[in-house]
Amino acid sequence: MDIEILEMAERKGSFILKDSTPAMANALRRTMLSDIPKMAIDKVEFHLGPIMVDGKEYESVTPLFDEIIAHRLGMVPVPTDYELFSPQSECVCEGEGCPNCTIMYSLNKIGPCTVLSGDMIPLGNSDLKVKDEDIPIVELTDGQAVLIYATAVIGRSRDHVKWQAAFGVGYKYLPKVGIDPDAADDPELLEVIDVCPRKVFEDKDGRLTVVNANACSLCRACERISRGAVTVEGDDRNFLFTYDTDGSLTARQVLDVAAGIIAEEAGGLAEQIEAL
Amino acid sequence: MIIPVRCFTCGKVVGSAYPEYVKRVGMGEEPAKVLDDMGFDRYCCRRMIISHADLIGEIAPLG
Repeated sequence: MDIEILEMAERKGSFILKDSTPAMANALRRTMLSDIPKMAIDKVEFHLGPIMVDGKEYESVTPLFDEIIAHRLGMVPVPTDYELFSPQSECVCEGEGCPNCTIMYSLNKIGPCTVLSGDMIPLGNSDLKVKDEDIPIVELTDGQAVLIYATAVIGRSRDHVKWQAAFGVGYKYLPKVGIDPDAADDPELLEVIDVCPRKVFEDKDGRLTVVNANACSLCRACERISRGAVTVEGDDRNFLFTYDTDGSLTARQVLDVAAGIIAEEAGGLAEQIEAL
Repeated sequence: MIIPVRCFTCGKVVGSAYPEYVKRVGMGEEPAKVLDDMGFDRYCCRRMIISHADLIGEIAPLG
């Protein structure tokens, strides 16, 4: 089983899983979706009562309920560094919360303004500032203010989506598009170019040529009008994956971690069978 | 009300894109092209942005 990487940007990746099975492909997809540990805000403390700034009194009131603001803060992607932080359950503090397993953010704004995710200031290490700084959290009018302390911890998205690092994870059977070489220069066959919704074919010197087989959605519109000259097949041993990340981890990290988790869990299964 | 932080369906962050989208469409760009350009290629994320009614500004003074 091999992985051929087609695209590996910071927040977007695609690769071909080669010589595998549908079960393995789905295991990888599900692991990427729900098992990658990631930092997200889990606990939010609101200051209640008047907030004094430069002799003016502001009310700790916002147009949104505190619960909604807490939820919105939770959804903001927080940078994750496995070297600096460990899951709370495995931390030396035994889940109490310490600088080895939590990031504290403070959010202190007075209205009128739009509170943005970039206004969250990490206590301590300034590298932990959120990367997506323009997410609106809430809007404040004159006389309103927020003073919030938020704590981020590592979790997995099987517990809550805010801990989901990869999304839009999907795969399809690798398309195999074949053209009968004897019929490829038939002018009638060139109609296939316009019928294909994914622009898989091109006209090269009057011959029908496949230029972008990976884009094929296996809709078989070309097969239906080509009277057997074009064949489309999905290869159930090779899988074309695409996925995005929210920026808290890079696409590369997500793939590496997912592969590690599958190997670890499969190893555990072998041990358990051995013990029977 | 206020733009959701993430797409309801897939989880892509859409909150940060909304102000830019509104600005660019207001300057006369075509909405479909702006969404393509900003990397929203799934229709779940696109609908989050195009169907959003931003009413928080009207609610805020009543809070």
